[in-house]
Amino acid sequence: MPPDVRETVEASQAPRPRRNITTAFVVSRIAVLAVAAAILLYAAPPLVATGSWIGLAVLLGATAVIGYLYLTRRYVPAKYLVPGTVFLIAFQVFPVLYTVTTAFTNFGDGHRGDKAAAITAIERGSVRQAPGSPEYQLTTALRGGELVFLLVDPATKQVRLGDAGGLSPLPGAEVGVTGKVLRAPGVTVLTAPQAAARGEEIAALTVPTDGGAVKANGLSRAVEGRAALVYDAGCDCMRGEGGPWRADGSQGYFVNAAGEHLAQGWQVNVGLANFARVLTNPTISGYFLGVFGWNAVFALASVAGTFGLGMAVALALHHPRMRGTKAYRIALILPYAMPSFAMLLVWRDMFNRDFGLVNQMLGLNVDWLGEVTTARLAVVLVNLWLGFPYMFLVTTGALQAIPRELTEAAAIDGATPWKAFRRVTLPLLLVALTPLLISSFAYNFNNFNAIQLTTEGGPFPPENPQVGGTDLLITYTFRLAFGTGGAQFGFAAAISVFIFAIVAIVSAVAFRRTRKQEEVYA
Amino acid sequence: MSKRALGVAALATLALTACGGSDPAAPSAAPSESASAAPASGNLVIWADPNRVKALTPFADQFGTENGVTVEVKEISKDNQQTFLTASQQGSGPDVMVGAHDWIGNLVQNGAIEPVNLTEEQKAAFSDIAIKAVTFDGQIYGAPYAVENIALIRNTDLAPDAPATIEDMVATGKKLKDDGKVQEILCLPVAQKGDAFHVYPLFAAGGGKLFGSTPAGDPDPKQVLVGSEGSVKAFGKLRELGEKGDGALKTSITNENYIPSFAGKKCAFLISGPWAMTDVKKGGFGYDITPVPSFEGGEPATPFVGVQSFFVAAKGQNKTLAQEFVTNYVTNKDVAKALYDADPRPPALTAALEEVKAADADAGKFMDAGKDGMPMPAIPEMQAVWEPFGIAEAGVVKGGDPAKAAAAAQKTIDGSLKN
Amino acid sequence: MKLALRHAFVLAVCAFAIFPILFVVSAAINPLGTLASTELLPTGAGLANFGELMTSDVYPFGRWFFNSVFIALLSSFASLLLSMFAAYAFSRMRFAGRRVGLLALLLIQMFPQFLAIVTIFMIFTRVTELYPAFGFDTVWGLMLLYLGGALGVNTWLMKGFLDTVPKELDEAATVDGATHAQVFWKVIMPLVTPILAVTALLAFITTMSEFLMANVFLRDPESKTLAVGMYGMIAGDRRNENFGMFAAATLLTAIPTVSVFLWLQKYIVSGLTSGAVKG
Repeated sequence: MPPDVRETVEASQAPRPRRNITTAFVVSRIAVLAVAAAILLYAAPPLVATGSWIGLAVLLGATAVIGYLYLTRRYVPAKYLVPGTVFLIAFQVFPVLYTVTTAFTNFGDGHRGDKAAAITAIERGSVRQAPGSPEYQLTTALRGGELVFLLVDPATKQVRLGDAGGLSPLPGAEVGVTGKVLRAPGVTVLTAPQAAARGEEIAALTVPTDGGAVKANGLSRAVEGRAALVYDAGCDCMRGEGGPWRADGSQGYFVNAAGEHLAQGWQVNVGLANFARVLTNPTISGYFLGVFGWNAVFALASVAGTFGLGMAVALALHHPRMRGTKAYRIALILPYAMPSFAMLLVWRDMFNRDFGLVNQMLGLNVDWLGEVTTARLAVVLVNLWLGFPYMFLVTTGALQAIPRELTEAAAIDGATPWKAFRRVTLPLLLVALTPLLISSFAYNFNNFNAIQLTTEGGPFPPENPQVGGTDLLITYTFRLAFGTGGAQFGFAAAISVFIFAIVAIVSAVAFRRTRKQEEVYA
Repeated sequence: MSKRALGVAALATLALTACGGSDPAAPSAAPSESASAAPASGNLVIWADPNRVKALTPFADQFGTENGVTVEVKEISKDNQQTFLTASQQGSGPDVMVGAHDWIGNLVQNGAIEPVNLTEEQKAAFSDIAIKAVTFDGQIYGAPYAVENIALIRNTDLAPDAPATIEDMVATGKKLKDDGKVQEILCLPVAQKGDAFHVYPLFAAGGGKLFGSTPAGDPDPKQVLVGSEGSVKAFGKLRELGEKGDGALKTSITNENYIPSFAGKKCAFLISGPWAMTDVKKGGFGYDITPVPSFEGGEPATPFVGVQSFFVAAKGQNKTLAQEFVTNYVTNKDVAKALYDADPRPPALTAALEEVKAADADAGKFMDAGKDGMPMPAIPEMQAVWEPFGIAEAGVVKGGDPAKAAAAAQKTIDGSLKN
Repeated sequence: MKLALRHAFVLAVCAFAIFPILFVVSAAINPLGTLASTELLPTGAGLANFGELMTSDVYPFGRWFFNSVFIALLSSFASLLLSMFAAYAFSRMRFAGRRVGLLALLLIQMFPQFLAIVTIFMIFTRVTELYPAFGFDTVWGLMLLYLGGALGVNTWLMKGFLDTVPKELDEAATVDGATHAQVFWKVIMPLVTPILAVTALLAFITTMSEFLMANVFLRDPESKTLAVGMYGMIAGDRRNENFGMFAAATLLTAIPTVSVFLWLQKYIVSGLTSGAVKG
């Protein structure tokens, strides 16, 4: 009784008789262990050095799991799936999850960091040079092991020593022509490289004065300044100019009594506000149906057009007596071999009314990208050009899997070539290609570049600059999220979730239909 | 904190990938030159766009040698501002960033850059407009190195005299077109979505305004004036110049074709900036650069002025060195000149500009054309203006109603500023 | 007669495919380097733009070219392998979560990944601290990142193809005592060369034109890939000045892809030739 592959896998839960241990088996197991050990040796030390114990635990756990997976004879499918899946999780699933969590925040320009970062930025940004204070020339020096500033007032050439306690006169210092202190009693002057190496210490040293504090400004100057805004933890507010500015945890801003806010905000949780905004925004809801309709047409026309044309040429070349196929194939994949961003720009120029090649050759004066109908026609045509070589390639590949005997048999049965194609070739092609068609639909449904690099969503009616004639859902909603008032990642993430839901539902429904095909064939 | 934990988790999963056994990219065998990364101190990282990296590198190296540190100049090709913000936030941004002054508002609200302390003497060495541009909310946030603005560039073989007014220019252009000497009256990019930057001088000349101003003279984001009476009038002027009027402004003239068209003698007038000069010179005809004229009896045709600057990153690893580099090193004349040689934009340092002028008159002419210009508003709210304004512009150029277009733009801008 | 019709149709499609590229050729040989000129053969046509491109010290085109081909070859090979493993499991084995897994592969790709850059920085900032050899500014890190896309629609493509290979073949091998690994390497792999070749080509092209990740990853002028470097040429207001060089670069970019295609073509159409021999 020959064991069926499927049954073997399902039966793997139960203990099975041992097979003979072959050399290949031993070698492959040793290789697995060696690679796992090498990875551990490489990956673990930096984690230990930086004290990333969680990371280390995950690393050890995962190494153990994967080591076991490849040493045991069980879980055969997992052996084949794990390598790709690990990368998939790190670089595809993780960004998706992150996007979804972002949808519940106000993450975006003005709200990128946390509150502490905003406070630092506000305080540092509000430091103004104390009026009338000298523009000190700075020399850094060591007193014992402690970093001190030697400050030269360029007007009086007087030298003072600054440390965490304040300023004190430093008699007996020798000042060079550039204004740098060359030597001074009791301290060791640092050379430029020595100072550069202590950059962080220099930035951290604050010398208090009556009017504020002296801080280094680079390595050779120091400025006496005072922060116009200072954080007060007691009232959770910024005190100073125009304030007090109270922290408003719901919007992630410091707000004053007049309702104004400081520019620097922080990221806060906004719950479902972004989703509510997508649903209630009059610009989105008011134009949704129109844009959605065109978007669906665009995606379907792109898939049908590229697949139709790609398959047609693949079939035309799929003939034993066809000559020159090599040259043809090269010409046909050329559109795919050029960088698409460059070619999209070329197409846009070709559709120019007065300077474009299309009007020139056809003797027309059509404002292709300036009228809704022609602009839509143009983007579909451009997308056809960009996309058909892909379909041509995959169809060419898939055609090789169809045994010629099948089509020949159909021909012997008296079927016309068209009937043979409909009954034999097309169904077989679709088994392999339906998922690609679904994926292509989803890709084109969200084909941001095809629109952005040609029409940018236009033409726009002057009375409504927000929704253009060729806008897809993704181009016009992203314009709302990014084109105006900076990047609003949280809002864009909520939009993405909605768009994904639409595409995923359509695709999942289409996908269910493929199950039948697969069962029939397999 | 939680983000960091997530990062670690993702990374730990990743580190295990090679346990797949047959992964050919298995890291164990991969040596790398950067394995011995320098410690955080004594290493300065600068990010710039591709055009400046080459020019900056020798100076960066020299700075490194003088201070005993390594300086790396890195190149980012696209979305520089957003990439800088994201990288800074996550802790792998540069110490010094090179960019345009109109980023400042957004960089400040994200806490990504710190004020730069220039001495009175240093400030005086720059042109006034450069200092004005990098000043935001009373603080200087960048060290300027180049100033750029648009001007009227004219083919003197076709149009020997500088036009006194826009009407003059259009009349000359029309005559040349009727005589078959040129194909277009004016090369000014409009495109399907409008181009606020290039059309702004004409818009200002027609009496239009984007923002009101604060008592300090800065643009006031609370007063958006795109839909105001003056702006409607200005849009009306643009409509008269547009496709249903004189035909001087056309949506078919775009950023891609306006300079080559001028260089190819298809129009006698070009409104563009210093970046056009390489191509203009290839055209092989006489040219002159003058300020953009105004309408008869109109307001001054003030162009936008952009100032390229060095910023000190707030979250850099080595801020002391970054401040030293930005305030005391790149503010010197030689650096300004080298950057000019790499990419000919008029230097912001007056002394460097004087030297450059002696060798290249164009730089001075551009500078003169922009001396009364308006620094591009650096306030973050400006981002909400560009696109609706452009669409309104394209709308009236195609013959749309100025009042409706202006009102729609105003409404869109108000709507997005409210959120 | 029928054959002539086939030729006519294919020629028409080829014309459609090549037409815009002629426009790029025109810009590449135009000394003004512009698309705006309406005549295809510009006055003063020459190869100056190519020369400038090759000798430019601002744009190290040769290095970009090498980097791109190196990264694309290596990462497409690796992802092809990972993808093939998964396709084999999905096609030949039945296990819990198989349908869900397949559907998930399809759906994950549909999520608008606009935050990808933010997450990449989140992950690789830590990687750079811990393992600089795989951090930013290294091709190895970029390749790991590209492997994230290994499982996806290509897995589906191969799985669909594998479904058409009769199961009796590997069953027979199993009877002869072959392990699943032997079945995979010795029975399945040789049978699926056409689709392997197609998928390899698709993966190669995708990597060649990948742009967003490479832009934030490779920041030294010398380490850039073609797509990133070329974008930098026309970024901002450099659009016009460098367009001739850019057009020349665009044309040269097609060379690796076409070469890989020429190399793989014989595998792609292997079914065809054997059919022809039989017929």
